[in-house]
Amino acid sequence: MNFIEFQNVTFGYSDDSETQKIEENVIENMNLKIEKGDFVAVLGHNGCGKSTLAKLCNAIVVPQSGKVLVDGIDTADEEKLYDIRRKVGMVFQNPDNQIVATIVEDDVAFGPENLGIDPKEIRVRVDEALKSVGMYDFRNFEPHKLSGGQKQRVAIAGIIAMKPQCIVFDEPTAMLDPRGRKEVMKTAKMLNEEYGITVIFITHYMDEAVKANRVIVMDEGRIILDGTPKEVFVNVDTLKKAQLDVPEATELTHLLIKDGINLNKDILDIDELFDAIVSIMEAKN
Amino acid sequence: MLSDITIGQYYKGDSLVHKMDARAKIIFTVLFVVMIFLCKNFLSLALVGLFVLLSMILCGVPFKVFFKSLKPIVPVVIFTAILNIFYVSGGSWEIPLFLGLKITEKGVSTAIFMAVRIVFLIIASSILTYTTVPTMLTDAIEKLLSPLKIFKIPVHTLAMMMTLALRFIPTLIEEIEKITNAQKARGADFESGKFMDRVKAVVPILIPLFVSSFRRAYELSFAMSCRCYTGGEGRTRMKQMKLHLRDGAGLLFFALGITGVVLINNYFGAVI
Amino acid sequence: MSNIILSTKNLNYLYSKGTSSQIHAIRDINVQIEKGELVGIIGHTGSGKSTLIQHFNGLLKGTSGVVELEGKDIWADKSKIRNVRFRVGVCFQYPEYQLFEETVYKDIAFGPKNMKLSDEEIDRRVRESLRFVGLDESYMEKSPFDLSGGEKRRVAIAGVMAMKPEVLILDEPSAGLDPKGRETILQMIMAYRKTTGSTVLVVSHSMEDISKISSKVLVMNESHLAYYDTVDGVFSHAESLKNMGLNIPQLTELFLKLKEKGYDVSTDIYTMEKAKDELLVLLKGGDKNAQ
Repeated sequence: MNFIEFQNVTFGYSDDSETQKIEENVIENMNLKIEKGDFVAVLGHNGCGKSTLAKLCNAIVVPQSGKVLVDGIDTADEEKLYDIRRKVGMVFQNPDNQIVATIVEDDVAFGPENLGIDPKEIRVRVDEALKSVGMYDFRNFEPHKLSGGQKQRVAIAGIIAMKPQCIVFDEPTAMLDPRGRKEVMKTAKMLNEEYGITVIFITHYMDEAVKANRVIVMDEGRIILDGTPKEVFVNVDTLKKAQLDVPEATELTHLLIKDGINLNKDILDIDELFDAIVSIMEAKN
Repeated sequence: MLSDITIGQYYKGDSLVHKMDARAKIIFTVLFVVMIFLCKNFLSLALVGLFVLLSMILCGVPFKVFFKSLKPIVPVVIFTAILNIFYVSGGSWEIPLFLGLKITEKGVSTAIFMAVRIVFLIIASSILTYTTVPTMLTDAIEKLLSPLKIFKIPVHTLAMMMTLALRFIPTLIEEIEKITNAQKARGADFESGKFMDRVKAVVPILIPLFVSSFRRAYELSFAMSCRCYTGGEGRTRMKQMKLHLRDGAGLLFFALGITGVVLINNYFGAVI
Repeated sequence: MSNIILSTKNLNYLYSKGTSSQIHAIRDINVQIEKGELVGIIGHTGSGKSTLIQHFNGLLKGTSGVVELEGKDIWADKSKIRNVRFRVGVCFQYPEYQLFEETVYKDIAFGPKNMKLSDEEIDRRVRESLRFVGLDESYMEKSPFDLSGGEKRRVAIAGVMAMKPEVLILDEPSAGLDPKGRETILQMIMAYRKTTGSTVLVVSHSMEDISKISSKVLVMNESHLAYYDTVDGVFSHAESLKNMGLNIPQLTELFLKLKEKGYDVSTDIYTMEKAKDELLVLLKGGDKNAQ
């Protein structure tokens, strides 16, 4: 079942806004279907339109032509705005700029409070949400005393407490250190696998995209590659042309194949390459 | 590190006063202030002193913490006292000094009164801020001011602004520290030069701070709107404020105090 | 000795000294950095690396110990500490947040102006720094706030380069940029070092980047200096780096696993070429016991 659907979507920022600049890369005639329960990574260099794609998903912006449907609702329907935002939560890049309260649990409660949910139910949701991201022990902390990764997990808990069906992560790891990046990725995976939440994960890190079920590569407002990580990352040349990296294991595999080693070209990570090498060695003995 | 600062002066604890309803505590603080100003003689002042002492004990915050918060205002207290000694005259005795200045009975008692009142006021308000989390305070103010809504005063918006300010003060302080370091690394000099030079030296800090604050505000407004924030209408709160027996007891406590002060004033007459 | 540009002796720093929240941020740091090296600094968040670099230009003064620039204690004359900051240029994380002038030109000129250089010299330096960061002169009159994220970053770095510091320190210069932006910054740093011959220190979380550009690597772990050695030297300790919770280059990890499995491979592999060669020897080598 499709949860989000883009039908011939075109979008460009107009020049009369406060930014005073026309974005060169807009979304151009995009068609995209995202299935319920999927984990989709969206890759692309800065300014390729991937952030705009995120904003289209929960009606922060609406297309100039074409339609975005969220669970069947047209995002252009202003009356349904908060129905859409209830269904599609969003986690942003800078963890500091999305936390509103001075205490962790109060921040997590913010969304449900806006929805007018019963206080007792909010308490239950907040505790559950904090436990699911592993931040329950920090519920009485002040946000500014947490690490970047922890703040981002609090922001995620704030979204989970609204019980969305889908979460869009807009480069949630760009400002984090390696440890924080791992924490956030692990949390996103867990939400997808254990809670069945549809995840759209926007990033420019290859190692994160590799963990998705489906990878969409964008360049200049268009989708240039779309498929499983294995299907996408074998296109080394296309990726490099789109100013992106290739996983090191994939690159090494390509070099080895060129030198006559018999390996599958769709190796993505070091573990797979390791297994492949071991099996060649064992076959030799 | 600057990031160690806590906003407000909340002192973690589990005392009776900590557990009291924030709205009640705000009202009690107001009553405390009334009580302090009602005092007209030393006996009633002593009674208030007893109440202050009792409240200090009940709130479980160590005395030395109070002394710390009193320290910076010691010069103010001394200044007011000295001013009162010479300014107010009258009473049953006087000691003439040089230049026509004199110390009178009324002068001395007014000075003592003023000094003690200031100290009591500080302690009373400290008890409120020591025992109440800043967010609870803003929530309580919102609740207490909510009748003003009928005059179209945006009480919720004001309270939200206060909460956001409390939330972002530490973030901005950290940011100021970072920007200052970055400009210092480019040789910016904040410590020497004439007054105007120093004012100019702040520009390289202020502009980046403004730019980043606007960016934060912009992103925050997106984030809040994505979490379905539409203002105060139809919002519920996770933490419900409930009045308990202890809040009623508090009210009784202050009612007794104020009655006592008034009685003593009437019975023994006013000194000031 | 004359080869050493920057060194520390038993350097310690305590945050919030004497309070209950006291943190011993760096402990007994002894390091001697040679002229002209490109030093990669690694260590996870909170390991003390940011505190350390703030000592190098006198933004922080050690609780005990000494920092020496060309053999002289930088705190010998407290009033001259600004001169130290001109000689040891530090560009902090997300430096684009320090931009404040109306034009790119004026912003880059801020440092040189503070040095009280002549107008011609300032002009020369601004143009030179712009070249270093790969921006042409058409940028000079633009407002820094109208540039893209990557361009802002480069203008901010140029602002530090324009002071012509003998030591340039960059704290995570490529943080938050996309792959192309990261690559541009790395190339820029290497070109700068080659042209000016100055000493460069780069803090990064990316082991791949560090191994690509550095001549030496400094590792901080829990307030201590864990290693200061050549790239080969440091990454040969891959296992203990892993114990410090640091990522090790992906390729190195592969060889560690192979070694663990009992194959005769070396584990000091950190570049693509070396990895390929080593694997070819293993896979085509036939008999494992062959010399």
